[in-house]
Amino acid sequence: MNLRGNEALRERLASEYVLGTLRGGARRRFESMMARDAALRRTTREWQERLLPMAEFAPAVAPDRRVWRAIETRLAGQGQGQGQGQGQAAAPRWQFWRHGALAMWRTLGLASSALAALLLAAVLLDRPAAPDAARMSDVASLTDEAARPALVVTADRERGMMTVKVVAKVALTPQQALQLWAVPRAGKPRSLGVLGSARELSLPLPAGAIGADVAALAVSLEPKGGSRNPDGPSGPILYKGGWVRLM
Amino acid sequence: MQAGRIAIYAAAGLPDSIFFLQGIRDQLCYVPSRYHYIHDHVFDPGRTLSTPANNSDPAQLRTWLQGAARRDRAAFRALYDASSPRLYGLALRILGRRELAEEVVQESFVAIWHHAIDYESSLSAPMTWMTAIVRNRAFDLLRRSRIEGNTDTVDRHVLESIADLAATPAERLQMSSDAQALADCMAALEERHREVVGMAFFHDLSHSDVADKLMLPLGTVKTWIRRSLARLHACLGARGAA
Repeated sequence: MNLRGNEALRERLASEYVLGTLRGGARRRFESMMARDAALRRTTREWQERLLPMAEFAPAVAPDRRVWRAIETRLAGQGQGQGQGQGQAAAPRWQFWRHGALAMWRTLGLASSALAALLLAAVLLDRPAAPDAARMSDVASLTDEAARPALVVTADRERGMMTVKVVAKVALTPQQALQLWAVPRAGKPRSLGVLGSARELSLPLPAGAIGADVAALAVSLEPKGGSRNPDGPSGPILYKGGWVRLM
Repeated sequence: MQAGRIAIYAAAGLPDSIFFLQGIRDQLCYVPSRYHYIHDHVFDPGRTLSTPANNSDPAQLRTWLQGAARRDRAAFRALYDASSPRLYGLALRILGRRELAEEVVQESFVAIWHHAIDYESSLSAPMTWMTAIVRNRAFDLLRRSRIEGNTDTVDRHVLESIADLAATPAERLQMSSDAQALADCMAALEERHREVVGMAFFHDLSHSDVADKLMLPLGTVKTWIRRSLARLHACLGARGAA
């Protein structure tokens, strides 16, 4: 569908996107159009400013004190670093999916689509719209321990391409590299690629990068050239996150 | 009591939108008795914030968000105190259950703390940005609970949605100027169109969900929504220019 020049249609789709009635394939197509059309993102933002104040029509209710206490506890826990993971020596530390796994995946699932929305709003927002910009079918935001986005991975299933973009400041020595892994629900992590000093990498979509059995993506800190361990990462896991299917 | 309220509004010179808000709230009496606990909870006067909040000033919220981005916990606390009643009210309205709404508010504020640094690049008003976070998370949870086979959820929320647009004059005073403008423009829509827009907004409903719930033809719902959004656009634009 060509939206360029059809101002009425652009307004209508943006308004229904924000209201929530644009669904399924149409919603995903709109999101991928937004990813490469700055004016469309602005139109959508304007509709957010128009319609989201409707939220205030619901009466304000002060939450119970325990909500703030829970937030404080969560933030304090994260401020102290990796405290919880270290206590569990049973599994290697990089096998984070074994540490209290279920609760973590639930949280990850909850966070991922909201995070994807934030990403569309924040990270991809003001990239110039290249005419040949890849169509994204899937996007993953990999975050550090404090849930700050560090890497954005996008996949284009149709063309079989994957891009990795480092969005955080990462200081690597020439002897270090970042390695991207697909972590399956069962079995060993699969290496998807190694990033040296490049902040952006485009490569053919590796087999096993996407699929129902991929529970998460993870990035480990490795020596130049990647992990020497054939079974998985040799260094610490710096970032992790899950795929969100867009179309 | 109804007449008394209307008299008070008229005396206070409040715009017509109060009447539509009140009218929608009155439809609560159609809520079947098994839903009363929600009604009681949501409208329990003891829990509803009663102090006028003049801390919704966008410039003040923005300052606190910038403070949170610098890891200033006092600023973050002030932001929470000022915005959490509205955001919790929204989550409660979408989810209908206190423990789920609390979970969403908790998750959202943890995300707000971590993403405060990205706020400026979103180019949004502070409340719009935080509202989007809470609404997305609440919808995520709502979708999950629907998937988990709780068929009651949809009906319950639709029934609740009829009360969604309710606001008393005291609550109106707490609204941002943007929300007041939107309320005025929505008051100018036909009542059923307003209802359809409100249902879709608060309950993550598709055109066909709305059509099913209201027993209307799909085409009618689509047309009403399209027309309503175009009218809101024009109305808000005219107010903005004024």
